[in-house]
Amino acid sequence: MITCRDLCFRYGEKTVLDYFNLTLPEEGITALSGPSGCGKTTLLRLIGGLQRADSGEILGVSPNEIAFLFQEDRLLPWRRVQQHITDVLPRNRRGEAGRWLAFAELEGEAKSLPGELSGGMARRLALARCAALGGKYLLLDEPFAGVDAERAVRMLQRLRDMGTPVLLASHQAQILAQADWVIKLDGPPLRVCSD
Amino acid sequence: MSPDALKRGIRLLLPPIFWLGVWQLAAHLVGRELLLPGPVTVFRALGKLMQTRDFWLSAGLSMLRVFAGLTWGTIAGSLLALATHFSQWANAVLAPAVRMVRATPVVSFILLVYLWVSRAAIPAVISGMMVLPVVWGAVSSGLAGTDPALLEMGTAYRFSPWKQLRLIYLPSCRGPFISGLLTAFGLAWKSGIAAEVLCPPTHAVGTKLQAAKVALETADLFAWTLVVAALSLLLEKGLRLILERRAEK
Repeated sequence: MITCRDLCFRYGEKTVLDYFNLTLPEEGITALSGPSGCGKTTLLRLIGGLQRADSGEILGVSPNEIAFLFQEDRLLPWRRVQQHITDVLPRNRRGEAGRWLAFAELEGEAKSLPGELSGGMARRLALARCAALGGKYLLLDEPFAGVDAERAVRMLQRLRDMGTPVLLASHQAQILAQADWVIKLDGPPLRVCSD
Repeated sequence: MSPDALKRGIRLLLPPIFWLGVWQLAAHLVGRELLLPGPVTVFRALGKLMQTRDFWLSAGLSMLRVFAGLTWGTIAGSLLALATHFSQWANAVLAPAVRMVRATPVVSFILLVYLWVSRAAIPAVISGMMVLPVVWGAVSSGLAGTDPALLEMGTAYRFSPWKQLRLIYLPSCRGPFISGLLTAFGLAWKSGIAAEVLCPPTHAVGTKLQAAKVALETADLFAWTLVVAALSLLLEKGLRLILERRAEK
């Protein structure tokens, strides 16, 4: 179980988290919703160990047990679609690449470069790469931005079937409707409105 | 012939015809072949040189020396750039030395290196020394310009340092590296020939240039100069094609 205890974080003069407390469920899909700029991405980055809180602590998980999907796709323009998957898989699991391409419904694009993909396809590839990396927890920042609703729901179901707990930030109503828990946030500074 | 092809042909031929005309006119006005031979005399001298085995041996060995210099300079410049980018200590120690090499006139190096290595090796050593700082600068700027978002992704996705280098840093350096290498090639060629002139090896274009000057064979001097320029242009074009094809792959 991930617990955020008394987290404080500032960007210059702006207080993003001010003694923020939250305990996340151990399983299923948990969605964070809230207005843009309220601090969802910062919270995910702090939990993922990509940034350090000014004070407070995060218990129950270490950064190397987490697979993090960035808000941007961060694909390598010179690597082909399948290589993005094999790049994060250990040598003895490289044969699984096809399974992850199927997860993202990108089987026909294995040899394509990111520049040849649509925005939605690139997002699906970024999500598949993150899921292929795996870990004790998946932290996903806007995982279905630009992905059509039907496909997004199908992919969310595949994530659920993996059995790894997921914490995602999203604005999309159809994604929030599929989540097991929705935590409504507001801010800054970030605060929980309801869960 | 279509009007477009005719236009293209004229556009291609007009500049060389114009400059050959200017050259012929200047030679006519000077009136002394010893000072300025006309293009006909020079091309006749070039034709004669090309019939000798020595011409091809000299041109081939000069190219070989320059490519040897280009190779070691590129490898050393790239390795130094990696060292100075990733280690503050290496940067503090090595970067001033590389900048010093870049700022020093090539003639000083030629004369110094003459004291240390055999004459046959000097052009390759000098070419490499001219290439090294250019490649170092190009690779360093490529490494510094690597997208930090991609590096953060590499760290978050647990890429090993070798994988970060192979998948993120090196591809990010490709553009600056190619333009740096093309600039370095021009420098390598010019400095290599200059080294051959000042420290003449047995078979070399620079040696032939020097011999033609000493013997007051001005037509031969011009002919060898044409050879140097033509080889430089051709080899640079070839190198550009190879690098661009590799980049496309």
